[in-house]
Amino acid sequence: MKSKSYVWTCCIGVVFLLSWEILVRYLGTSALVMPAPTQIADVLLKSLHNGYLWPHIWQTLVEVFWGILLGGLMGCIGGIALGESSRLRNLLMPYVVLSQVVPKLALAPLFIVWFGFGVLPTIVMTALICFFPLLENTVTSMQQVDPQKLELFRMLRANRWQTLWRLKIPSGLPSIMAGLRVAVVLAWVGAVVGEFIGSSKGLGALIIAAQGSMDTPLMFAVLVVITVLGISSYWTVQTIEQRFFKS
Amino acid sequence: MNSDSVTTEQETKALHLLRLREVSFSYLDGVETLQNIHLDLAPGEFHCLIGRSGCGKTSLLKLAAGLLLPKNGEVVWNNKPLDAPQSEMGFVFQSPTLLEWLDVLDNVLLPVALHRKITTPDLDKAKDLLQSVGLGNKLHNKPTELSGGQQSRVAIARALITGPRILFMDEPFASLDAITREELQRDLMTICAQHKTSILFVTHDIGEAVYLGDQVSVMVEGKIHHTLKIDLPQPRHNAIRHSPEFNHYSASLRHAMGGAA
Repeated sequence: MKSKSYVWTCCIGVVFLLSWEILVRYLGTSALVMPAPTQIADVLLKSLHNGYLWPHIWQTLVEVFWGILLGGLMGCIGGIALGESSRLRNLLMPYVVLSQVVPKLALAPLFIVWFGFGVLPTIVMTALICFFPLLENTVTSMQQVDPQKLELFRMLRANRWQTLWRLKIPSGLPSIMAGLRVAVVLAWVGAVVGEFIGSSKGLGALIIAAQGSMDTPLMFAVLVVITVLGISSYWTVQTIEQRFFKS
Repeated sequence: MNSDSVTTEQETKALHLLRLREVSFSYLDGVETLQNIHLDLAPGEFHCLIGRSGCGKTSLLKLAAGLLLPKNGEVVWNNKPLDAPQSEMGFVFQSPTLLEWLDVLDNVLLPVALHRKITTPDLDKAKDLLQSVGLGNKLHNKPTELSGGQQSRVAIARALITGPRILFMDEPFASLDAITREELQRDLMTICAQHKTSILFVTHDIGEAVYLGDQVSVMVEGKIHHTLKIDLPQPRHNAIRHSPEFNHYSASLRHAMGGAA
């Protein structure tokens, strides 16, 4: 049943690509406006083969990695602290929400002023975007621990740290990992948009460069790369979750 | 004369592992959930608390275990006022409350693992306990792979791993089918007789209380209405559930609970 639906999913993709190809050829649309899938594939394979894309892919990967690591860690640690202390939560949560309501992408020009061009402003932007889903999910999971299990730990005379490490964090892991899955997908948005504005290297910068030289097939090729990398990172998190954290 | 009175006092102390004196309790809403509770529990005694839903049974159990503190009166454990759960106590909750991310063996060992490193004797004891509740072949299964009855058995084994002198049980078999419940009741009685564990057992099932208890206290609206000594022979077998004495005790408790006998 599952493999049958998988076949259908693939069929929809193939039909979509075929229709796109036929339509573009039939209408004779310029590649500048809408390149055919075969043209995009051609540019993609060539730029992968001649090594043109790799430095850009590497740059964006580095930014996404550090963004997720820093933003995720801060989100998790902050979430645990806010989840554990209702006083801290009441005190700081309004400011956390406030900081997230400010459109982070609009902060990019400010980051360039503060951190200069290059990797750093993009990492900061990515980290900021990854921070909130993990914080929110961690805070929620800390507060949703089964009250009977908390009573069990009290009965077993567990101290606060033991209750945190042996009960609250393990029982909150599914929710924390769900936050990480969201963060990983958003991280690519942060990195690419950060590069649009403040970088000369990376997949986002490459899209802007391709736009400048009116190389629409290259723009599409880069979009394909970003999509594949985004899906791969999502699957990686999902695999880690299933391999290590599923009971 | 003097030595006699000292002996009598020591005997009295030895008689009562847990004593509740004039205990009352209310939650934050201020309404008194428990009023003027007196209760004594001797070593090895199986004491059942029975009553309708909302009569304060669970609150009383938590007070006796040190999970709640009384508003008035005192709870005395081992001749000392009780202000927090003690190492010699075990608690079995209404739901098994197993940690899904640990296997059965690690769940049973949790009370030990929280306080010190697990040793080979601990492992052997956990395996023996699981064997005695019929789960010797499920040591490395996750709780989600077990049935409700098997999960309850793991919870009982976990409560017994530290060799507690007293076990508090809050309707641990309420969600199980009749046959599994009877099996678990029998196993519980056997294990506790072996370990000479005292038990304070909350239930709303009259038959369960009569079958298990040496004494049954009936609770009505936050008070102990009366306490009945169950003089049925030990060890108790399933056939006893159909005896006239059993029915007599059941009818008497039902009457005390406010229903039509």
